[in-house]
Amino acid sequence: MRDLVHIIEFEELLQEAYNDLVRKGKEDGLRALGYTCYFMPEVLLDIPGCFGVRLRAPRSGSPDMATYYMTNRTCMYGRCLFERALEGGFNFLDAEMGTETCTVTCRFQEHLQMMDVIKNPDFFCEFTDVPFKKNKNSIDHYEKQLQFHVLDKLKEHFGIDTSDEALLKAIEEHNEMCRLIQEIGSYRKLDNPTITGTEFCMIQLITQVCPKYLIMDKLRDIAEDLKTREPDEKKAYRCKVVLTGSEEDDPYFVKLIEECGALVVADRVCYGSIPGREEIVVKEGETPLRAIARHYLETSQCPRFMEQHTMRERKQFLANIAKEYKADGMIICQMKFCEYWSYERTIDTLILPRDFGIPVCSIEKEYVNNAVGQLRTRFQAFVESVEIKKIQEGKAV
Amino acid sequence: MKIGAVKEKFTQLKDSGALSPKALKEKMTELFVVAPQEEGKAAETGKKDFRKMAKDFWYGKPHEERRLGDLYIGDTGLYKHREWRGFADTMYYFNMIWLYNYGHMITDIIKYGGSPLALVDFLKGTMRYRWMGQTYLTVMHWFDRGLEGMRGPILRGSAWHYRGMVSASIQQIMRMFTSDKKIHGGNESEQWKKNIAHNETVSGSVFYPFRGQVTDIPLEMIPYFVTCHVNNHTVLNYIDAAQSIGLPADPCPMCQAEYGLFVLDDYPDFAPTMVTSNEACDGSVATSVLQDWFLNRPLYAMPQPMRYDDPLVQEHCQKEIEGCWKFIEEQYGAKFDWDVFVEHVNLQNEQYAFEHEKWDVAANTPYYPINGVAQALYRIFYSQYGTQPIWHEVDGHVKKLMQKTVANKIETLPKTRHRAIAWSCAPLYYSNWCTWAYNCWGINCVINMDSLMFDQYIRTDTYEHALEDLSWYNEKAPMRAMAVGGHEHIFQLWQYMERFNCDMVIMYDQLQCKGMQGVHGMFEDEFRKRDIHAIWVPHALPDKRTVSRKEIRKIISDYMTTVMREEPLDPTLVDFEDGNSW
Amino acid sequence: MKIFGKIIKILALVYAALFAVFYFDLDGKFLYYIWEPMMIKRFDNMKREDNTKTPYEEKDILAADRD
Repeated sequence: MRDLVHIIEFEELLQEAYNDLVRKGKEDGLRALGYTCYFMPEVLLDIPGCFGVRLRAPRSGSPDMATYYMTNRTCMYGRCLFERALEGGFNFLDAEMGTETCTVTCRFQEHLQMMDVIKNPDFFCEFTDVPFKKNKNSIDHYEKQLQFHVLDKLKEHFGIDTSDEALLKAIEEHNEMCRLIQEIGSYRKLDNPTITGTEFCMIQLITQVCPKYLIMDKLRDIAEDLKTREPDEKKAYRCKVVLTGSEEDDPYFVKLIEECGALVVADRVCYGSIPGREEIVVKEGETPLRAIARHYLETSQCPRFMEQHTMRERKQFLANIAKEYKADGMIICQMKFCEYWSYERTIDTLILPRDFGIPVCSIEKEYVNNAVGQLRTRFQAFVESVEIKKIQEGKAV
Repeated sequence: MKIGAVKEKFTQLKDSGALSPKALKEKMTELFVVAPQEEGKAAETGKKDFRKMAKDFWYGKPHEERRLGDLYIGDTGLYKHREWRGFADTMYYFNMIWLYNYGHMITDIIKYGGSPLALVDFLKGTMRYRWMGQTYLTVMHWFDRGLEGMRGPILRGSAWHYRGMVSASIQQIMRMFTSDKKIHGGNESEQWKKNIAHNETVSGSVFYPFRGQVTDIPLEMIPYFVTCHVNNHTVLNYIDAAQSIGLPADPCPMCQAEYGLFVLDDYPDFAPTMVTSNEACDGSVATSVLQDWFLNRPLYAMPQPMRYDDPLVQEHCQKEIEGCWKFIEEQYGAKFDWDVFVEHVNLQNEQYAFEHEKWDVAANTPYYPINGVAQALYRIFYSQYGTQPIWHEVDGHVKKLMQKTVANKIETLPKTRHRAIAWSCAPLYYSNWCTWAYNCWGINCVINMDSLMFDQYIRTDTYEHALEDLSWYNEKAPMRAMAVGGHEHIFQLWQYMERFNCDMVIMYDQLQCKGMQGVHGMFEDEFRKRDIHAIWVPHALPDKRTVSRKEIRKIISDYMTTVMREEPLDPTLVDFEDGNSW
Repeated sequence: MKIFGKIIKILALVYAALFAVFYFDLDGKFLYYIWEPMMIKRFDNMKREDNTKTPYEEKDILAADRD
């Protein structure tokens, strides 16, 4: 396939947390607000006067200083973020909007709170409590938390307008971006997709780490470009897979999977678009904040939700994605030391093939992928097994 | 075992020479004979010092001459003979601890089982569940390990705590066994229908309004948690089973063991529903996913907020508790009974008031009649399980003892060199490390982090107050209160050190606890800045294979010799094997 | 009186025997060397349900949880 417009630029932007567009946003006088988790609604951080940056630590090596503080028995994502912070890579942040939604990222953010790491006099770190259920009580609670720990703090520290009008404007812009991502992502549903998982991953990541107003035109260009993009005559992949699992912000990991012959057609990972790029609907009589709180709890598929029906529905959700995106299998990847996903991966690996007949490749990985060779072998073997299954079922490979 | 097999075994032994007089003599020596050690005058003159022998017989040997390490048989942790503690204490141990507890175990089985026929259910359970058949019968050795070297009031007070825990354990065991579908041919008895299972980290206090109508039994407290303390061999099976279905080895081994029970089908089926929670960490939440699958019955998740000292989270927490009550009403047809709730809360408050008295004595005097291990285990057990008559009985005995030690200024651990606070989560397979640390080095573990949890009175003047305090109570559950939910709690260590007059920290380093690993460096920095003697004790909660007890002792001993430059009180305890002990 | 004396004697003997069991840790030795290996063998060889075969359907009985 021909190169997708802006994709080289996006790839370059993703090489640094403090990239050119973030710099531009800061130069435009906006406040840069860091966050790590889906439960910190990005739409709230994108209200006029500021923009959200979902933290990544691209091109990380060995997080030695962070390992002193957090030992080598914690998730490397948290440690690499902290290492990057200690190196000064996050000094552009005006605030970190924290959540205690998984232990290690919480500890990372607490280090920012306790130690004088971020060299920015305005910097503060504020935590929001996020519920574990999706019931009314949880939505009430979450709404209250977001009001006090996000909106009120932004107003207090930076004089940001947090009125309903400002929120509605942010929702509108957010929804437009979601529509574009959905449109771009929908090309993955084609029998022969015209966008690769790697490309989509880059686009999705860009929407999380750059000021939105600086990328909207580019997203429109990409959507336009995809309308006429033709797939290769000969398929460049051997099977299609859903990528699911824990934190994943590395397009090169997706590339690695695709190099092994598995086209990633759906992304149910922490930085992915399913869920994440659904439009926020403000129901009649509902305040914009209420709609946001409800939306983020209702759409999330995080394994920290512990109501019985929610736990069980998660499996069906994955099976539905596989069907919708015509995937042949599923790769479940878990960041080493991520407790939520250790368990979720275990049960997914057992239930999805058993109850839904979906072949699963279950892997544990690090944030910095030094074990590329081993992973490659695993993926290649998985692709072969999917092909064999297809042959046995009498389907064309 | 069949007679033929016994005969065959006998023949094998005979052929191997194991039954020869020489071999038998050697075996008997290994099992029963302690190498004599002459001391003082006897060592100088080579003659027996009968006066000293008589004194030692009557009063017990002085601490420095006890040589407790010589009593062990190899690495088994068994004794060649139990310790002679002086006439009075040995007879107390024999009559009031050993005989009393063995006897009461039988009466407790009958009492809690409802009739002497309950012995049959007990036997069935013993033969059905590994955690029962292999584990709990060794309970007196749990006493032995925790009470080694103890004398006088602290021996008595600590033993009462152990007695309380044994009784409460039997209460749970019998309720489980008498209701268990698995040992009753799949029959759902009336009792089964009235039980509610809950995750061991959900406090029993949540169920007070329904006591008498519905019986709350922690699902894993007996099959997993207490076993690790009594006989840590069993739990390894559950950890391995958890990993056998694909779980990586790094998540908290407590959570692994909790659902490993289900993988091995070693949980009693005693209740139609389950209540679970997110206490204390990500692993606990995730465990619920697998437990829910294996239990496959109605489940109510009762999460507590993470940032629990945020005033805004309280209403949410209260509503979740109310949600749990509604669930019980719907599932069991039971009614919320305010009077029963108040009655139980008042009883719990009584326990809590006494706990505060105990802390006061522990913090400000050397007369505290409870040792470190008894303090830690009893506190966590009774506050987690909820109020029960046995706790009040035990507290009555301990109160009398404490009044006596304080009034008569009896120093309960007279060889104390350091007053230590143990912080973070403890190694379950070596909860008695503090008994060893006192006997060997004079380290008196005055208080530990888990003891300080649940620090909350519950008001009963109005429903709103009661609910508010109950939610606080649950938010202050072990680990939940400190290891997660904001770093400011875990760093309360400094205030507690001061409050309990401690000069040393035993810093538990649970290698698989992400919350604690995540603040490791900040603790290092603070220890240095504050010039505090802190000994990091690595461990993996129930799994002794990661860091053995011997390694733990070595770490402490190395610190005491190299940093503190101290000599051991009992040199036989510095280096010994106990890898295969319970 | 004689019977009473006999009972006292028997009780004294039982008491002494129990003390010997206690002092020489015979209970521990029995459990460690005889009972536990037997139990390990029993439980290692016990036939168990394969709980990973448990169905995993959605339940619709938790009204309280859905509010």
